[in-house]
Amino acid sequence: MALNESLATQSGVQSYWSIVRKQFRKNKLALWSLRLLYLLLFIGLFGNFIANEKPLYAKKDGVHLFPVLKEIAVNFGFSKWSAELVHADWQNMDYESVIRAPVPYSSHKSDLANIYKGPFDQQEVASNRFRHWLGTDDLGRDVLSGMIHGTRIAMSVGFVVMGIAAFIGLMFGAFAGYFGDDRLRVSKATVLMNLIGLVFAIYYAFMVRSYALLHGESLLWELAKSILVFAFVLLLFNLLAKLLKTIPWLKEKTTLAADLIVMRLIEIMNSVPGLFFLLAAIPLFRTKSVFNVMILLGLISWPTIARFVRGELVRVRSMNYVEAAQAMGFKERRIILKHALPNSLTPVLIAIAFGIASAILAESALSFLGIGVDPNETTWGQLLAKGRTKTTAWWLTVFPGLAIFMTVTIFNLIGEGLTDALDPMQKR
Amino acid sequence: MFQYFLKRILVFVPAFLVISLVVFAFSKMAPGDPITIDPNAVFNQEDYQRQLATYGLDKPYFYFSFTSLAYPNAISKVLIQEHRTTLQNLIAQYGNSEAVLNYYREIGQLGKAIQSVPDSLKGDAYIEIKRIFHQLYINYEDASVTSHLQTIEKNYQSTTSDLAPFFATSIPALQHNYQNIKTNTSRWKLYVPRLQWFGFDNQYHNWITGFVKGDYGNSYRDGRPASKRIKEALGWTIIMNLVAIFFAFLISIPIGVYSAVKKGSFFDRAVSLILFVLFSMPTFWVATLFLVFLTTSEYGAWLDLFPSGGLGNLSADQPFWTRFWDRAAHMVLPIICLTYGALAYLSRQIRGAMIDTINQDYVRTARAKGLSERTIIWRHAFRNSLFPLISIIAMIFPTVLAGSIIVEFIFNIPGMGRLVFDSILSKDWPIVYTVLMLTAVLTMLGNLIGDLLYAWVDPRVEY
Repeated sequence: MALNESLATQSGVQSYWSIVRKQFRKNKLALWSLRLLYLLLFIGLFGNFIANEKPLYAKKDGVHLFPVLKEIAVNFGFSKWSAELVHADWQNMDYESVIRAPVPYSSHKSDLANIYKGPFDQQEVASNRFRHWLGTDDLGRDVLSGMIHGTRIAMSVGFVVMGIAAFIGLMFGAFAGYFGDDRLRVSKATVLMNLIGLVFAIYYAFMVRSYALLHGESLLWELAKSILVFAFVLLLFNLLAKLLKTIPWLKEKTTLAADLIVMRLIEIMNSVPGLFFLLAAIPLFRTKSVFNVMILLGLISWPTIARFVRGELVRVRSMNYVEAAQAMGFKERRIILKHALPNSLTPVLIAIAFGIASAILAESALSFLGIGVDPNETTWGQLLAKGRTKTTAWWLTVFPGLAIFMTVTIFNLIGEGLTDALDPMQKR
Repeated sequence: MFQYFLKRILVFVPAFLVISLVVFAFSKMAPGDPITIDPNAVFNQEDYQRQLATYGLDKPYFYFSFTSLAYPNAISKVLIQEHRTTLQNLIAQYGNSEAVLNYYREIGQLGKAIQSVPDSLKGDAYIEIKRIFHQLYINYEDASVTSHLQTIEKNYQSTTSDLAPFFATSIPALQHNYQNIKTNTSRWKLYVPRLQWFGFDNQYHNWITGFVKGDYGNSYRDGRPASKRIKEALGWTIIMNLVAIFFAFLISIPIGVYSAVKKGSFFDRAVSLILFVLFSMPTFWVATLFLVFLTTSEYGAWLDLFPSGGLGNLSADQPFWTRFWDRAAHMVLPIICLTYGALAYLSRQIRGAMIDTINQDYVRTARAKGLSERTIIWRHAFRNSLFPLISIIAMIFPTVLAGSIIVEFIFNIPGMGRLVFDSILSKDWPIVYTVLMLTAVLTMLGNLIGDLLYAWVDPRVEY
């Protein structure tokens, strides 16, 4: 990165992003937030290694074991535990030599000797190495370990939700912004076939597959299959439209008000309060998992992104380079993907940063209320909810809440830093 | 202007209909209906049908149904919703509706056989068979059904010859029919669409026409009209939120304007930092912190400042002011929770807008004219920076409702947010419908008013 920059400044040419990066670095708060974010990502990725009741390395009966690596392999389905290790009591086994994880507890392992112990209370543990530094909950589960595992869920919530929202938002926003109300001309055959095709596509992709979607084991996989079916049916109907174009009346082109349709859709989506929608939709799924919550949150967060993309594209489409590309005869899709969109990403990035903050907030609010909560996964909201019922256990309220607060602040600061860095008026 | 108004109303109607469809669809997808929720209800078909009719739930869902060949009308005639769901899920897996219906009838026969067993023979095996009979109505996954049938088979074989004659026909027939479902699948039927028209006497039509006329139905939980429950709950939510909004504006306007005028000063930077921190603190965390630290004497009697949760239970014959102060004491903490977020947001908006306005030329002109700083700030700059606030006012109602859910849940206040939350969890759909539709209507109304205000206040905007 630094080499790139110095080369660029040497030759006098600075790319847009290097300017942005330099500007961003001048904002100390944003810079430190970014560094903290890297730390959080690290904790999220390597949470299994940081807090685990299984040791990182153990030598038992002369055999070298790497239980944590094995656990990861088993979770991915590559491997299976041998018979004597499946129900092993990792904490109390005798080892010849052992290297434990820094926090020697898993988030879901109950420690019934230490129920509701606070960080400053007397704890029934073997030594200070095994102390519950942030206290325990109603079943003796370690709060620090729970928070570390919660970090992973929070990070995935942020990125999955905004990933989905950004993808859908970019599509719809680009469509609405580039074509506006009067630039999309399609043949009547295409319009007709797509309308009918839409009905059938929804039927085959979602209604016929409703059993699989609601009862399937992996919502993501079933949803992916549904989307494939949807695309396939639409494709079929588009091919049919090509055939129908032989009829002269149907071949005529008519204007489709793309902007109007998308904006009405966004307005409708904004009229239903998101929390209600989630409260009503989540109990419909048989398997309770954070993943379902993430997908639903992503599906309702795209309007904000779409609005920004649309605004930018309206500005960009009247630019000279787009006009030049059109004059050169490039297809619309290429113009949008290669020329218009890359130059409209500025407010989208800012919206994504703030969006991640609000997605993490929303997910913790939902798990606080108890919606969509899988008892095997520990999230910050869940820990906070436990603190509400037992007011003496202040550590259950303070620490998870602090984690949520700090994560949201970090993303907000990054968003603000990006806003300042990308604002053309502030260049010094 | 009038034309614009008309155009907006025209768009409003389809949006309203779409939302009503979505809400209705969700309520019908969720399992459970008001009769099965009541634990004291009795379940034979005739009683069930009569009870359903009182709620209007025995009618078809919608004007038409767009399903597949595999779902004949006979399935919709099965009125007990749990059973219908089981049958639908079985058909979704195997496709052969006739076999599934036969299987369903055989379960009914098993029920009759169970009822015909005299008391003297009701031993352990009997109890087991009866328990599984109830489970068969609910389970549709192959693994569970097969295991249930195996258990029945085992119990049947293990009984003495006394019980055998009662179940001689029904149990083997049950097994046979279930196997039949699995072997004679006709999954292709699931892929053939079928349109069926039901006419105007359906649940959706009755609901929506009633809604538009103002009839919001009766709550499933206690039979009282939904509008009454909502009105009671609405009162508290509105009081708390109005007070919160009032204080938010009261505090944020001076702060916003002052920090804009003194931009870059210590005051400005300190206040911006505090506001940023406030903005990032999650409401549910702050509310829980308040609840944990300020309502009990756990952490020192000097902290036991506020009553914990709820609204207080003073009876109506206490003097008005006593009740008023008691209620107010209960509402202080929730109102603080509702205020600080709005306060932070508004202050930043006002500050931003004021900074933009102060840099404008006309402010410089006003200064050159010699007007006092106060006049400039308040009469000219502030008025022109009110525009962003208009769009905020438009979105007030849904934001307020969403924020209220959490605060009311934590502090146990019987307001609208809490009402909706409880109703969704207890499947009390009339209340959920009504609140959701009202929210949607008010949101769109708010958007419309916001746009109109914008057009009125800014003479440059053209419609």
